Amino acid sequence: MKIDHSQPLEYSTEQNKMNILGFWIFLGAEIMLFATLFTSYFVYEDRIGSGPAGAEIFGITPVLFETFILLTSSFTIGLAIHAMRIQRTKAMLVFLGITLLLGAAFLGIEIYEFTHYYHVGATLQTSAFTAILLTTLGTHGAHVTFGLFWGLFIILQIRKRGLTPETANKSFIFSLYWHFLDVVWIFIFSFVYLKGMM
Amino acid sequence: MEFFDRFAVPHPSPLIYASMVAIGLTVMAIILGITYFKKWGYLWREWLTTVDHKRIGIMYIISALLMLFRGGADAVMMRLQTSVPDNAFLDAQHYNEVFTTHGVVMIFFMAMAFVIGLMNFVVPLQIGARDVAFPRLNAISFWLYFAGAMLFNISFVIGGSPDAGWTNYYPLASTDFSTSVGVNYYNWALQISGIGTLMTGINFIVTILKMRAPGMKLMKMPMFTWSALITNIIIVFAFPVLTIALLMGTFDRQFGTNFFTSVNGGMDMMWANLFWVWGHPEVYILILPAFGIYSEIISTFSRRNLYGYNSMVSSMAIISLLSFLVWVHHFFTMGHGALTNSIFSITTMAIAVPTGIKIFNWLLTMWKGKITFTVPMLYSVAFIPLFTIGGVTGVMLAMASADYQYHNTMFLVAHFHNVIIPGVVFAMLAGLTYWWPKMFGFMLNERIGKWAFWNLAIGFCLAFFPMYITGLDGQARRMYTYSEATGFGPLNMLSFLGAGIMAIGFVLIVYNVYYSFRHAPRNVGDDPWNARTLEWATHNPVPEYNFAITPQVDSSQAFWDSKKHGYQLFKDDLKDIHMPNNSGLPIIMAGLFFIFGFSFVFFIWAGVILSGIGILACMAYRSFEKDDGYHIPVKEVKETEEKFGGAKK
Amino acid sequence: MKELFPLKQVNGFIFSLLLTVIALSVYFMDLSFELGMTILLITAFVQATVQLVVFMHAGESEDKSAIYTSTLYGIIIALFTVFGSLLAMVWGYM
Repeated sequence: MKIDHSQPLEYSTEQNKMNILGFWIFLGAEIMLFATLFTSYFVYEDRIGSGPAGAEIFGITPVLFETFILLTSSFTIGLAIHAMRIQRTKAMLVFLGITLLLGAAFLGIEIYEFTHYYHVGATLQTSAFTAILLTTLGTHGAHVTFGLFWGLFIILQIRKRGLTPETANKSFIFSLYWHFLDVVWIFIFSFVYLKGMM
Repeated sequence: MEFFDRFAVPHPSPLIYASMVAIGLTVMAIILGITYFKKWGYLWREWLTTVDHKRIGIMYIISALLMLFRGGADAVMMRLQTSVPDNAFLDAQHYNEVFTTHGVVMIFFMAMAFVIGLMNFVVPLQIGARDVAFPRLNAISFWLYFAGAMLFNISFVIGGSPDAGWTNYYPLASTDFSTSVGVNYYNWALQISGIGTLMTGINFIVTILKMRAPGMKLMKMPMFTWSALITNIIIVFAFPVLTIALLMGTFDRQFGTNFFTSVNGGMDMMWANLFWVWGHPEVYILILPAFGIYSEIISTFSRRNLYGYNSMVSSMAIISLLSFLVWVHHFFTMGHGALTNSIFSITTMAIAVPTGIKIFNWLLTMWKGKITFTVPMLYSVAFIPLFTIGGVTGVMLAMASADYQYHNTMFLVAHFHNVIIPGVVFAMLAGLTYWWPKMFGFMLNERIGKWAFWNLAIGFCLAFFPMYITGLDGQARRMYTYSEATGFGPLNMLSFLGAGIMAIGFVLIVYNVYYSFRHAPRNVGDDPWNARTLEWATHNPVPEYNFAITPQVDSSQAFWDSKKHGYQLFKDDLKDIHMPNNSGLPIIMAGLFFIFGFSFVFFIWAGVILSGIGILACMAYRSFEKDDGYHIPVKEVKETEEKFGGAKK
Repeated sequence: MKELFPLKQVNGFIFSLLLTVIALSVYFMDLSFELGMTILLITAFVQATVQLVVFMHAGESEDKSAIYTSTLYGIIIALFTVFGSLLAMVWGYM
């Protein structure tokens, strides 16, 4: 494996560069995945049947918490990658840990939100609107959950193997994933919650 | 026993029982055969765990051919059923299942697999690469496709086939009207193989962008590689739509949501909308690689450079974008207003323009060329007029107001078979014949190949052209029978005869493989067609590392230059070659996906949870695994090269 | 400690917080639907661009043209899908 030392560790081999490009293209596919959910959401938004409308069940408080927590986690993982690039492994692990904790907090609030929806009678089966709402949020939440495990595995690997071209590459790709989830959340925040409560 | 009741076939018939027995016997024969010849170890080491793009490509093609015969049997059954009025060979339910599986199998498991198989085999060779960018992922893609295909194919003996058409429209596909688990199978089989296809898309984009031989600029790539690149871009952006649509369908059928129902806000046509947002790009996913194959073949056998390289590339790029802009033409009759229909009508007609440009480029490539009519060239030459007819009838269908007459008639069936068979199927057969010597080291017999071609071409015209007429006369598609008073009888009989002639053509192709395997000479050289692209610059059959020395390229036809103008392709010395390790993980994961899908189809939650955990465990294992591949030392490379007749200059 | 908090990232974070607060104005102030949607569209897409360029380093590698092309292509097709579907299923549906 040829290592190019003039590049940051995560770009230092040909395979690493391909991994990063491949993941970007995967994110292109993810754009379409969420775009399809948004498409369906906009179509079903007003088709509430006998169930509640968005404005009746959304609450601004949990949404604000979720938004600021996820924004902050996106910031901390950016810092983790920066720390990685200046060889501060320990700081990097701390930032990664904070990111995952914030992710877990986000998930906790989202679960709370879902139980709230359940209690006010907005379940998967209530109407087309509630179904697409929960499916969209759930798909994002499932991505976050997957990310928590993935991030945890990366932390374990860095602790065991240190910063190598492989672990740096994985960390960078994970950061792309996490930032992307934040971008998706921004759109959910704007066009599901705020638009619904406007 | 109650647990096992769910696996019973809801509409049994002697045909299905006979198939069960046949499947059982075949599986047993295969297992016994492999055991008797002690080939399990060989199979596992060399094929089931391989990450070699060439072998994965061959496995795709073999699977595609198997599926071709499965789907082909369905087709013959349909033509037989409708060959005479009031026929009772199949009942309505069975006919529904047959046309549904015919469509799904042919599109997803035959055409897609064939296209991806040829891309797998050819693209890395054409760009002078050792393998694809992510060899392990490539194996996962194949095995997920295979798991999906098998899951779909067991449906008709366990639990019942889907019966709502390959487009699976709701409310027909809902639990109200499609009561068996068939549509669950549809959802999960396509979901699983769709994930594999998406991974292939990413894999090939990166391969083509990052692993081209030194000097091969984007605009110096062979046309098939270009078509593969564009196709994979469409795959990456189209397949997620199907993923979500299938997920919503699954929710509707298995968790009681109201996406595609008519109560509580549900909207059945939303399925049609999402399906075609994916479905129309899918059409181009199939046809663009076919265009690429024809470009290679026509240029090779006209002994001329491809005419209009730049316009070929740009028309494909335009097609890729436009293909996402036309989907509503599949349901003009849904009832949206004239404005919506007009917009999509215009975009649809616009897409005919770049396609037309390509037709003229092929014609001008042949113009003044020294044409040799080999089997691949015959398919390509037949493709041009036949495909044009299909294209023109497509423009007819694109006129929204006229479409009210054609919609859901046999006219439509004739149209899309008219583009898919001369377009995709002929291209796959042409490509298979063309690259066969590269795959197996001997050529397919030309004489039998020509017989097969003429059977297919004539059979095709006989089978599908009458449908244009019956369609215009009002014969609806997907009707299992019609009365004598309609007068459709004779033309449908003609269609059946055509289908029979096509079936003979396909049997001849199989016979050709057998005959050539027994009798064809093995010393065909590395470049039997006198071709122009890089894949012919290495040995026949290709060694596992493809090129002992990475070729260097300075024009769009470097290999031709090396033959005619003494250009030196291989400038470096032999070095150690880095190769990826084989892995059993892909097939194990795909097996778990199969169990996951199967359990989900039948609501067996324990199976879903266990296999789900298994899949995640495989991913976790992969995350922690260290696998740097291995090196083939120079000495071994040298020996291999000697065995193949000396290193390439 | 300071080298762990580069200015670019900190500014990006503050900017994205600011954008979020601006977006929140549609909830707390009584705006017309058109104005509110305009604000949301602008803040969301600017916010996404900030993430893409500042945090995800989309433009730093040799493959930046491929990365930008694929992302842009995805966004364009996503917009086609959203608006085309709305045209077919909501606005143009009789």
